[in-house]
Amino acid sequence: MLVKIYSSPLKVLFFFTLSIIAYLTLITPGQASTLDGTAILLQVDKNLSPESYEMYRKLINIEPDGTKKEFVLYSVKKGQNKMVALFLSPASEKGRSTLRLNDNMWLYIPNVGKPIRITSLQSVVGGVFNNSDILRLDYSAEYDVASITEEGDFYLLDLKAKSKTIAYDTLKMSVDKKALVPTTIECFASSGMLIKTLYYKEPKDFGNGIIRPSVLETDSPLYKGYKSAMIYAKINQKELADEVFSLNYLSRVDELR
Amino acid sequence: MILLQKIFVLTCFYLLLGLGLSIPSVTLAEDYSFNLDEFEKKSFSWGGYAELKWDHNWINRNGAFGLLGFYDKPRSDLDRLTSTVQLDGNYNKGMVDFNWLLQASVQKEQVESEQTLDIFSAYASIKPVPAVTFDLGKKTFKWGKGYAWNPVGFIDRPKDPNNPEDVLEGYIGVGVDLIKSLPGGLQTLALTGVVLPVWDNINDDFGEKNHINLAAKLYFLYRDTDIDLIFFTGDSRSTRYGIDISRNLATNFEIHAEVAYIPEQKIRVLNGLGVLENHEITATSYLLGLRYLTKSDITTILEFYHNDAGYSETEMDHFYQLVSAANTQYNSTGDASLFNQATIISKSGYAKPQVGRNYIYTKVTQKEPFDLLYFTPGVTAILNLDDESYSLSPETVYTGFTNWELRLRYSYIDGGRFTEHGEKLNGSRLELRCRYYF
Repeated sequence: MLVKIYSSPLKVLFFFTLSIIAYLTLITPGQASTLDGTAILLQVDKNLSPESYEMYRKLINIEPDGTKKEFVLYSVKKGQNKMVALFLSPASEKGRSTLRLNDNMWLYIPNVGKPIRITSLQSVVGGVFNNSDILRLDYSAEYDVASITEEGDFYLLDLKAKSKTIAYDTLKMSVDKKALVPTTIECFASSGMLIKTLYYKEPKDFGNGIIRPSVLETDSPLYKGYKSAMIYAKINQKELADEVFSLNYLSRVDELR
Repeated sequence: MILLQKIFVLTCFYLLLGLGLSIPSVTLAEDYSFNLDEFEKKSFSWGGYAELKWDHNWINRNGAFGLLGFYDKPRSDLDRLTSTVQLDGNYNKGMVDFNWLLQASVQKEQVESEQTLDIFSAYASIKPVPAVTFDLGKKTFKWGKGYAWNPVGFIDRPKDPNNPEDVLEGYIGVGVDLIKSLPGGLQTLALTGVVLPVWDNINDDFGEKNHINLAAKLYFLYRDTDIDLIFFTGDSRSTRYGIDISRNLATNFEIHAEVAYIPEQKIRVLNGLGVLENHEITATSYLLGLRYLTKSDITTILEFYHNDAGYSETEMDHFYQLVSAANTQYNSTGDASLFNQATIISKSGYAKPQVGRNYIYTKVTQKEPFDLLYFTPGVTAILNLDDESYSLSPETVYTGFTNWELRLRYSYIDGGRFTEHGEKLNGSRLELRCRYYF
C-alpha cells in the first residue's frame, strides 16, 4: 500500500509538505532557530493571569535593618490595559485605591475625596515597588520582543518599551521553558542603568488551571539593602464591567469583593 | 460635653501608651505567610483616626488680625491643644450602601475652649448596575484638579491650602452618576448630576435660601487626558461654568489646570470710607499646576492661582487701615466700636485664608533623604504675588510605626505692614500632630 502511495510523485510532494507543516507546528520550545518571542511573551502573560480576574496580594517592604511594612491589596484586572487596586490594610492606607488605564494612573484617597493623577515612577507604598509594578499590565501590552535566545532551561527575552511613557525602557526577561512563566526580570532605564530586578518564586496552583509563581521579590541598586516582595494569595477569574475601571468608580471598588 | 472630654482624655492617654508599645519589631527571617480570612468582606465596616495636636502660636501683635483678636487682652503667644476623632463607616445591604464620616473635636487653648461634633457626610447610594449610582444625603464632591485651590469646586467648601488633604464637610443633595466606557480615543464618559436644595437647616450656609440648585459635571478621558466640564445654576448662587484638565506628560510629570467663569459674581468690598459695598462682577478665575518627581524622589507641586473675585491690594488695604484706625481709637478713648465694625466686616470675607488675587503655591517633599527611614521632610510656600507677602512652612512626617503618623511643622508668616500675610494673626507657628489610624 505504502509503495503504491509513494509511487505517485504528487502524493510524495503532498506528504513532504505536510511533514514540514507538522514539524513547524509541533516544534518543541527548545529549538531556538524558529522561536517566536512574541508568542512566548503572550503565553507568559496568559500563564501569569487570566483575561479578567480578581486577586489578593500582600506587599512587604523590608528595610535594611529587617523592619517590615506590610500592605494588603485587592485588585481586579480586565483585558490588557485596565487594572484597579484597593488597599485593605494597614488602617492608615485602608480605602485608598489606584486605577490604571493604559499609561494613565490615578490615586484615590478617601480623606482627599477625589482621584489625583499619579505617575508610574512614584510609589504609593514606598519601598522598591513603584506604581507601575503594583498596577502591572500585561508585559505584551507594554513591550515588544526585540530578541530571544536560549540558555539551558530558560528563554532569554529582550523587551523594548512600546512608548516613552512606560516606566522601564527595556527588560531582560528570563522565562522558564517548561512552565512558561518568568523567573527573573531586569528592568533598565533608557540610559542603560539597571533600575531593579524582579524575582518570580514559589510556583503555586491557584485553581482553575492557574499555576504561577506566588511570590515576586525585588531589589534595586538604587535602594541598597532594601527589598520588597509581593505575595499572591488568591487569583480568581471574574467577569467585570468596563465601567469599574473609571474615576467615578474608584471610591466604590470594595463593592466588587 | 464633660463626658466627651473624658473620652478624649482617655483616648489621648491610650494613644500615648500605644505609641510606646508600638516599636516595630526587627525580623530577620522572611515571613511570607498570608492569611486571607482576616480580610474577608463584611457587610459592616468602619475605621478612622484619633489625633492629638499641639500648636504654639507667636501672635502678630501689630497685625490686623492680632489686634482684632486680642485688642482688649493683648498677648504674645497662644498654646492650643486639639483632640480629634474621625469615624468613617459603611453598611452594605444588596445594591444599597450607607456611608458616613463623623468628626468630633475638643480644642483647649489659654483663652477659650471649643467642642464640635460634625457630620461631614452621611448618604445612601443605590447601585442597580456598576455604571449607574444614585446618591441621597450629605456628601462631599471635591470637584477640580488643583491641589491647593479649586476654582471649579462650585459645590464644595473652600480648601485650606495649608492642609489641602483635610476632609471637608459636604452638602445635602440628591445625585446621579452615570459612567460609560468606550473603545478608541474617548475611553470614558461620565455624567454626575446633583440637585442641591437650600432651605432652613438644609445647606443654609451655601447661599440664598428657599431655592433648589443644580450642578453637573461631564467627565471625559480623551486621549489620555482627563477633562471635566462643570456647570452650576440656581438662585442660591449665580450661574457658573468651569473646565478642568489633567494629563501625564511623562512617567514623572503631571500637569493640570482649571478655569471658572462666573458672569454675575457678587462680592462685598470695603470702600475707602469704611463701608461695605455690594458689587457684581464678571469673574474668570483659573489655576495652572504641575507635579514633578525627580530621580532622587523629590516631589514638587507647583500651582499658580488667579482669583478674579479676590480682593485687590487697595481693597485689602482699606480693611487693614480700618483696623489700624480702630486700634488708635481704642488706645486713645477705650471705644471699641470700630473694632466691632471691623470684626463684622472681617466675616464678610476678609478673614478667610488667601483672599487676594494672585498666588503661587509650592510644596516640595523628599522621601527618606540620607537613608532616614520613614521620614518625609518637606516645605510648603504660599506667596501672594500682588503684595509679595508669604508663608513658609518646613515640616517633617514620620510614619515608622504602623498606623501612626507624626508631623512636626513650623510656619513663618510675613510680608510687612499692610500685606496679607504681614497682617495675619500669627507671625509664626509650631505644630506637632500625632495621628493614629484604626
